[in-house]
Amino acid sequence: MLSPNIRKFKTTIDVYRTKLEEQSAQIQDLRALEELHHQFLSRKRGTITLLFEQLKEFDPEEKPAAGQLLNALKNEVQERFSALETKLKTPAKPKGEIDISLPGEKLYWGAPHPVRLFQQEIENIFVSMGFSIEGGPEIETDYYNFEALNFPPHHPARDDWDTLYITDKLLLRTHTSPVQIRVMEKKKPPIKIIIPGKVFRRETPDPTHLPMFFQIEGLVVDKGITFAHLKGTLEYFLKRLFGERIKIRFRPSFFPFTEPSAEVDIECLACGAKNPDCRICGGTGWKEILGSGMVDPQVFKNVNIDPETYSGWAFGMGIDRTAMFAFGISDMRYFFENDLRFIRQFTLK
Amino acid sequence: MKISLAWLREYVDVESPLPEFLDRLTMIGLVVEEWKEINGDIILDVETYANRPDTLGHLGMAREVAAMLRSSLKEQTWPLTELPAKTSAFVDVQILDEDLCPRYCGIVVTGVKTGPSPDWLRAKIEAMGLRPINNVVDVTNYVLFATGQPIHAFDLAKIAGPRLAIRRAKKGEAIRTLEGKTVALSTDMLVIADEKRPVAIAGVIGGEESAVTDATQDVFIESATFDPVSVRKTRKALEIQTDACYRFERGADIAFAPQAAIMAASLLTQFGGKAAKEPVDIYPKPRKLKEIVLRGRRISDLLGVDIDDEFVEMTLGDLGFGLTANQHSIWRVQVPSFRVDIEREADLIEEIARFYGYDKIPVVVPPLEVLEAVPSDREKIQKLSQALFHHGFDEVINQSFADPEKEAVFRSGKAPVEIRNPISTKASLLRTTLLGGLLENTAWNRNRGTEGVHIFEIGNIYFRNEDATAEKLHLGLSTTGPLGTPHWKGRPGEANFFHLKGAVEACLESLRYAPFSFKEDGHPFFEEDYSLAVLYKGEKIGRMGQVHSRLLDLYSLGGPVYAAELDLDLLFGKQPRPFEYVPPPKFPSVVRDLSFLVDRDVPFQEIKQALDKMVVPYLEEFSIIDHYAGGRIPRDKKSLSLRFTFRNPKATLLAKDVDKAEQKIIKNLKSAFKIQLREGGESP
Ligand SMILES: [Zn+2]
Repeated sequence: MLSPNIRKFKTTIDVYRTKLEEQSAQIQDLRALEELHHQFLSRKRGTITLLFEQLKEFDPEEKPAAGQLLNALKNEVQERFSALETKLKTPAKPKGEIDISLPGEKLYWGAPHPVRLFQQEIENIFVSMGFSIEGGPEIETDYYNFEALNFPPHHPARDDWDTLYITDKLLLRTHTSPVQIRVMEKKKPPIKIIIPGKVFRRETPDPTHLPMFFQIEGLVVDKGITFAHLKGTLEYFLKRLFGERIKIRFRPSFFPFTEPSAEVDIECLACGAKNPDCRICGGTGWKEILGSGMVDPQVFKNVNIDPETYSGWAFGMGIDRTAMFAFGISDMRYFFENDLRFIRQFTLK
Repeated sequence: MKISLAWLREYVDVESPLPEFLDRLTMIGLVVEEWKEINGDIILDVETYANRPDTLGHLGMAREVAAMLRSSLKEQTWPLTELPAKTSAFVDVQILDEDLCPRYCGIVVTGVKTGPSPDWLRAKIEAMGLRPINNVVDVTNYVLFATGQPIHAFDLAKIAGPRLAIRRAKKGEAIRTLEGKTVALSTDMLVIADEKRPVAIAGVIGGEESAVTDATQDVFIESATFDPVSVRKTRKALEIQTDACYRFERGADIAFAPQAAIMAASLLTQFGGKAAKEPVDIYPKPRKLKEIVLRGRRISDLLGVDIDDEFVEMTLGDLGFGLTANQHSIWRVQVPSFRVDIEREADLIEEIARFYGYDKIPVVVPPLEVLEAVPSDREKIQKLSQALFHHGFDEVINQSFADPEKEAVFRSGKAPVEIRNPISTKASLLRTTLLGGLLENTAWNRNRGTEGVHIFEIGNIYFRNEDATAEKLHLGLSTTGPLGTPHWKGRPGEANFFHLKGAVEACLESLRYAPFSFKEDGHPFFEEDYSLAVLYKGEKIGRMGQVHSRLLDLYSLGGPVYAAELDLDLLFGKQPRPFEYVPPPKFPSVVRDLSFLVDRDVPFQEIKQALDKMVVPYLEEFSIIDHYAGGRIPRDKKSLSLRFTFRNPKATLLAKDVDKAEQKIIKNLKSAFKIQLREGGESP
């Protein structure tokens, strides 16, 4: 049983508790909260302060019970005020209106063409090795495209380069190699350049052939350049492009403008040399990736560089063809259909 | 070149397992593209090179294989059953053009029982992918595929002899070929002619009238050497391709001609034939073997590896070269007649490298040497591309060809370059504008459900410039449809004229080609009211606008498409503004907005230019923040709001100074454009 005094005190406390609930429910802003805070907890005239004053009048044996009641109220007041403060200080959020699981807003960013992207990857590797980038005309003369590169007129070697002609003497360059000649005519060794660009062949479009595609050419001319340097530089390049562990093979070949000539194969990434029916490597496990060789002495003579003093090496590689292999693209025509569903994927590359 | 392994083994022993054998062939440069097993034989398809006619027969391949395996070639003998009479008793061969025919051999075989070939010969002919005809024709093909030397068999009875002339065709002469086609001959073509008419086109194809048939008994076998260029020109002009001309135009072994004739005659004697006692062999200027000096030092200079003299001597010896050591590590090398590709020291070094093994040549990364970089437009193009990606443009690359019908509708004002031998009539020109490709890409994507197509291309356009051709690097842009995909926060905007203009401005600004300007242009690519020229330093560097409906119809495109084309070669040739750093201002700025009415036909650019020229103290910059017409605005007016930013770099600006500056602007605009200020400076 509670003593009458305590019961009376409890009633008083309950009245204040009701008051607290009513008044705090009406609080809309921090200023009102501050007023209410003052009303209850002011050190001089606050309700709680005054109630503590009353506590002194209780008998010693009733004091703990009364104190317990009052402290409970005080805790309630403080908890409610701090909850209110937190609520008022965070912006109003009508319930359920903001669903933060919704997707974010993105800026739309255009995509680079995959051939250009791959070209830049290649260029960056060579630029890091100290190569410069050169260019030349796409409409070429027979002289630069063939003759100066040691393709005599009427030589069957020309059949390997099916040509689109403008006139007897003008054509669409079939490779980027004529730029080698143009650069060597103007500049004395040392020369260390790459030449990316469009080239043209008289080819009917199919999944692996197009009348226009991209090639990148490299040329190094200096004193003391050897086939070992050709191997070293191209191996470094291919490992940067395809990964340190890629297997590389140099084998003899023929190009009129290099002697000795080498074709470079890398292991087939499609089947890892494991599928005898692989469509990419024909089951050989090797994929032909570029042509190269030591600059032919006749080419040097054609540009008045003494082949006894200088030597050099050159390479040529299809950019789109290699990109097909690197990205696993089965049809070369995708590159020039310019379907945005294809191109936009390369924002991720 | 098809190579039968069984046939190859008649010349050289091959014992290694096939995969290993093929790998080794690859490493000396003979790549087997594919192989298949037929009747217990293995047929290899070997890739051959234009400079190596010696590998176009089994004998030549066997020479390579023997050198590779360090073994030797097996000897073959070709016995003859001889007649008492010489060949010259039957045929009187006369070379009338020694340049085009440096050597002509022939042998007569009489009494051949023409008929089907024996099985061994049929099998060989079939292995080469040919159909056996009869024993005489099959023997000629056998000799060709065995040795690479093309030979031809005439039916002796059908030659109006005895004189057989090797001469150029006469004007008006024609011949019906073995293919059954009558072709007119021109006077630069070499023919074999009897006393009445040409009986064969030298090195290309025989005539039908003198051809061997099943009734043939007496045969004249021809084994000659013809000028490669002449054969090539003739077969190209006549559009004939034969196994014989393929070899002659690459260069036949002039020393081997008599042996090939004897080989054929020997085989024909197996079918009852009797060969004349002596072949004819007309060789007016016998050729000496080429001699090349080979220096051991050059081998290591070029390959980057030291190779033993012994290896050099053995390899070249195995390949049929004659070597005389001049002094230590220097040789005089005699080139065998079948190696028409070997002319210089470097060619010999390649032979040594091939057999030494490219894989054994060391891998040396040259020391990094920094050379002066050649300036290129690469950085500019990359910056430009970045600005365009940022504006949501995807990059495309189109083929450089154009359809003449479409090109005519474009009216680019440039004379197109024509391709003489195009892939198709629809790709017979080179493009004079990038716009065609961009519209084609737009149509392609629209037809596949992509509505928003915002694309750019950087590539050459081509045109005729009087007698010369020219090519210029252009940038093309086109934009149409929604700028993004629908999103819960709101629908994306639509591409419009100003979206495109913003992209063009961004391109120029990103490269500091500023200030640039625009001018009404009226170009046929664009709708009349939406056509602007883009100018930098007063020179037109491109154009932009709303694509003309005539061009949209060409690609069945609906809806407005906006496009621009800039001449990058022209632009990159100009000096951009240098980059300058300006420290951030220390003192605050004052912003004043000014709203006014002005006649509707006054372009903003005129007001801008007037303000650019005006000297206004403390004016830092201005921009247009609102543009409005219609509604409560009088019909002939429009309302503009400009925001002016004033700043004194050296002190805090005073209100009265700003007032003064503002008044000056108002006064000037009033007198130049009769502007009427709007109350409160607010836009409606
Ligand atoms: Zn594979």
